[in-house]
Amino acid sequence: MRLNLKIWRQAGPNAAGRLVDYVAENVSPDMSFLEMLDVVNESLLRKGEESIAFDSDCREGICGMCSLVVNGVPHGPDRGTTVCQLHMRRFKDGDTITIEPWRARAFPVVKDLVVDRSAFDRIIAAGGYVSINCGGAPDGNAIPIPKDVAEAAMDSAQCIACGACVAACKNASAHLFMSAKISQLALLPQGDAERERRVVAMIEQADAEGFGSCSNEAECEAVCPKEIPISNIAKMTREYVRAVLAAK
Amino acid sequence: MSSRIRVFSTSVGTKLLIGVTGLALFLFLISHIAGNALIFLGRDTFNTYSHTLTSNPLIPVIEIVLLLIFLVHIYKTVTMYLRNQQARPVAYQAKKSQGSPSRRSVSSLTMIITGLWLLIFVVIHVKGFKYGAYYAVDGADGVRDLHRLVVENFRSPLMVAFYVVSMLIVGSHLWHGVSSGFQSLGLDHPRWTPRILAFGKAFAVLIGGGFILITLYVHLFGGQVGQ
Ligand code: HEM
Ligand code: FES
Repeated sequence: MRLNLKIWRQAGPNAAGRLVDYVAENVSPDMSFLEMLDVVNESLLRKGEESIAFDSDCREGICGMCSLVVNGVPHGPDRGTTVCQLHMRRFKDGDTITIEPWRARAFPVVKDLVVDRSAFDRIIAAGGYVSINCGGAPDGNAIPIPKDVAEAAMDSAQCIACGACVAACKNASAHLFMSAKISQLALLPQGDAERERRVVAMIEQADAEGFGSCSNEAECEAVCPKEIPISNIAKMTREYVRAVLAAK
Repeated sequence: MSSRIRVFSTSVGTKLLIGVTGLALFLFLISHIAGNALIFLGRDTFNTYSHTLTSNPLIPVIEIVLLLIFLVHIYKTVTMYLRNQQARPVAYQAKKSQGSPSRRSVSSLTMIITGLWLLIFVVIHVKGFKYGAYYAVDGADGVRDLHRLVVENFRSPLMVAFYVVSMLIVGSHLWHGVSSGFQSLGLDHPRWTPRILAFGKAFAVLIGGGFILITLYVHLFGGQVGQ
């Protein structure tokens, strides 16, 4: 296959960026999207040009590093997949593909397609953990958790913090990301002790980072590689109301 | 107390306020259209209804509460919109909806535009009716002939067009707004959410379409059919 690519190039955080046209020759339908970019980069290096910077690590949909907006959709056209799991058979010979970075004030571009997502780390650091001292590891059966509750918590825990929710949201809101962690921990006895403090701290941190608010469009849910639903955001709201009412 | 007030300036607290005020305005619209539909029963029924309503001593209190709700809704949505714009300073060159399960629609993307139109509409609407010409009903002391005012207002095709467009716009605002309001309050349930989504759209059509029907009926028949 031969593909026309329009790729966002930006030399650094404060440099002006623009879409640059490239042609990818001899693309096999069996290649992954990132392998296709590797091939483009090799040809750029051969020509003595600077390669295109993009993030990736596991390349199997579990680490959350890859972060490309493909033809206007974070992680590309397939549902429930990261862009590293996207394959070139999804495209046709001669297609034009636009590739951009996540765009949000809280996710500044580092270079080309790479953005700085440490705002997410700071949101987690504000309360997305369990810090109560509970002594040594208890027996696994000592803390009974109903199976459906454990499964709901696991569904929320699937978040890989890639940031596609922010990238897709018209308000660049981080609500799906935060709410997944808040729901997961609120469902479990281990997270219960700090649930009020956690939800308030994480929401205030996300607001301070400059993420927007939720317009209930669920565009985030539609692009989430783990298909985490916005019912998590509703749960976060309930947790927030609970925390406010319980505040002393 | 101060921390309780700050609650409503976080992103989640803001949406709680927008949801509560939006749904309150929605409830008001339901009662408003139910009352106005009495125009189909003729002039006397309509005037009796509007007289009973406006002479109720609670009405000024309710009006002030409604005005406050309206102002909070506007203040919160406009400031939130501006903040949300700042959250993405560099726009995408290509942006597309992923489609289902996304609920994005023309309606959801234009909430601020339809909302601001409604603000202008409400000002014109209240000026034209509540503070419009005062006609008395012959022989009934202190009873305002609002029916006549409605008929005269809707004689102008321009006014009718403005109302029809505005009611399409209120329908659009509610198409996304009703279910979104419930979601903002933290209501999401596998069984109820699909029903709330359908209910919201049905009411958007009923309210927008109902007001259009009333407008056209008054314009075409002078509100006189069946008398
Ligand atoms: C008849 C009057 C109105 C009714 C019945 C109404 C109703 C609603 C409802 C039910 C919502 C959903 C709330 C939520 O998402 O939590 C909403 C949202 C909204 N309203 Fe209104 N509204 C009215 C007037 C206005 C006005 C005058 C504005 C002016 C700016 C406005 C701007 C907005 C905006 C921007 C949103 C979207 C909020 C978001 O993106 O999350 N509305 N409205
Ligand atoms: S590279 Fe790890 S999820 Fe895509």
